[in-house]
Amino acid sequence: MTESQPADEIPTRTTITDPLTNAFGSLNDLAPDLASLQDLATRGSWRSVLDKVSRARTASVSLLTQPHHHLTYLSYNTLALMKLRRFDEAAQELDSLEDFDSSSYKYESYPHIYPNRTGSMVPFALRWLYVVVPVKLGNRQEGLDRFYMLLGFVRDKLRQKGEANLEVSVNCWKKREIFVINCLIGLHLSNKEFTVCLNLINELISLDALDPISLSKLGYIQMQIGDLEGAKTSFNRVEEISKEGDVDVGFRNLVNRNKALMYLVGKDYVSAVREYEECIERDYTDFVAINNKALCLMYLRDLSDSIKVMENALERVPTVALNETLVVNLCSMYELAYVNHSEIKRTLSSWIAKVAPDDFDSSCTRI
Amino acid sequence: MSTTPGTHSLAFRVMRLCRPSIHVEPPLRLDPMDLFVGEDIFDDPIASSNLPPLISTTDSSNSSDLTFSSRFLLHHPSDSIGLSGLLVLPQAFGAIYLGETFCSYISINNSSNFEVRDVVIKAEIQTERQRILLLDTSKSAVESIRAGGRYDFIVEHDVKELGAHTLVCTALYSDGDGERKYLPQFFKFIVSNPLSVRTKVRVVKEITFLEACIENHTKSNLYMDQVEFEPSPNWSATMLKADEHLSDNSSQSRQIFKPPVLIKSGGGIHNYLYQLRMSATDSAPVKVQGSNILGKFQITWRTNLGEPGRLQTQQILGTPITSKDIELHVVEIPPVIRVNKPFSVSMVYFIAF
Repeated sequence: MTESQPADEIPTRTTITDPLTNAFGSLNDLAPDLASLQDLATRGSWRSVLDKVSRARTASVSLLTQPHHHLTYLSYNTLALMKLRRFDEAAQELDSLEDFDSSSYKYESYPHIYPNRTGSMVPFALRWLYVVVPVKLGNRQEGLDRFYMLLGFVRDKLRQKGEANLEVSVNCWKKREIFVINCLIGLHLSNKEFTVCLNLINELISLDALDPISLSKLGYIQMQIGDLEGAKTSFNRVEEISKEGDVDVGFRNLVNRNKALMYLVGKDYVSAVREYEECIERDYTDFVAINNKALCLMYLRDLSDSIKVMENALERVPTVALNETLVVNLCSMYELAYVNHSEIKRTLSSWIAKVAPDDFDSSCTRI
Repeated sequence: MSTTPGTHSLAFRVMRLCRPSIHVEPPLRLDPMDLFVGEDIFDDPIASSNLPPLISTTDSSNSSDLTFSSRFLLHHPSDSIGLSGLLVLPQAFGAIYLGETFCSYISINNSSNFEVRDVVIKAEIQTERQRILLLDTSKSAVESIRAGGRYDFIVEHDVKELGAHTLVCTALYSDGDGERKYLPQFFKFIVSNPLSVRTKVRVVKEITFLEACIENHTKSNLYMDQVEFEPSPNWSATMLKADEHLSDNSSQSRQIFKPPVLIKSGGGIHNYLYQLRMSATDSAPVKVQGSNILGKFQITWRTNLGEPGRLQTQQILGTPITSKDIELHVVEIPPVIRVNKPFSVSMVYFIAF
């Protein structure tokens, strides 16, 4: 075993490897065939993920030899079921587990497999999925309770790791804390609990006041409520930050899109369209700019062009434009433009069926 | 929207065009690290040095990525909120309230195989009390609408009456056979009351206090953009606010974030308190039959993306001012009064004429 330095002195690119086995050379070293699972997931081939997990589990010579392999595969399986909106089955998968804090899921319970490693081998994704499932099953209050308990759990971990001076772990749990808070904002926002959202996002901004993306989201929430003055202040702050240094295309587009929204609420749709066109010129995959530009054209009485913008996007950049909201908007436009809109919607629907990932919710075409 | 049956080449398609909404949908997206490995693996120093470089090679968040990875992986932590700024069109007619602006996209479609000519289009709002013309192309009729073609327009109307409203769209046109045809279509909607304002007036030591309770009867949360009390000429008014709640937010966040006044949908309330003073004490107050007009409220609220609504209340009346025949005021009393010992008090009295 090579001598290891304390975690907080490790420079970013120098790695320490055990000369006998490189446990971290590739994704497949983390779990069998993980690279393939991950590839299927990024393509949205969730049915194939379910297939793969099922075969791995029923194989006569099991691929899944170590305790954590089962957990990784169960995580992908549960996520796939959730993506396919099979929430009952996802809940069952999670029910098949013991309590997350059980000793069966601790590294130290298998010292011959994980020498010198302690702690929980439960992928954090599983804890998160456990919290999301009741919300998807319609039991929002249970979901909310679990979410706040998860936040408490993450904060406890943060304290523990901090006390033990495990810097890399601390950063990891900090990221998870921010992740859970953002999920909570989304959950409260879906239920129009705006005051809670504003408090939570304010908390995030006070942790990193220079994060233009979170500041912009604050602006969107304020705009959705109708607090236009508040939104303007937030967007101005984002623009100030953009002038303070190097900005990439994504940030510049963000500033333009925020400007466009301010024009839109002032009913100056022409200027809004101009801002969105600047975004699309810089980045033709900016589907938010594309979608919003189409809507502005409609408010300018140009239904034909708004439809063209949407259809072009689907043709040119299907992997980003194929978004349920964009399709909902396009179908609304079709319903307005055509007396016999079922035909054109059916054409759209069959195209979607060929191109869309498994998790695409085709009910958005309202056929 | 429904089309009238019969042999018309034209048909109206109507869509209410209130402001769009910013779409919210928390996604199922995560950090791949939270899937690949156990949650405490970074406690292990070997793992914590080897994993981050491995994970970063699997991250494909550039714009040339032709997979659907952005439906699965987070690019920024706030992606979990599901608030990308994507706008969505109004999906239903929804409720409409007094003080709002009714806006509608109207499209007249020629679904026949023949051109139609000399199209005179009219749109009006009909209520119990009146007909309001929104659009009339009789002075410049639409020359023609080709087969499969469309003519679009957008109409707006400030809603000032309660109850049943009908948007009447009519088209007078010459069809493929040269026959002059008339197509009327009717779209009905009901206008309801969005708010109720309950007021209470109290006089305490010659200061008049006005309490207003605004109740939200709509299906949305209402952002109270402006609630202004306009006092009548001889009164002046100041809004009284509770002391600012001293939270321990950083001053930076307090700069950008001022808690908005939001009244919850379906029965939420918010109270306002005003202190009123007579602006000129020697002029006679405006009296109407023993009552006293204090003023009225101007209320502006906003909903999604700043969609405004405006109302004003009726005149609010104060308590009648009654003049007393004799008024007695204490001018001076001794600082200490001992029991069983007489004391002097100076008083002044006023007699009303």
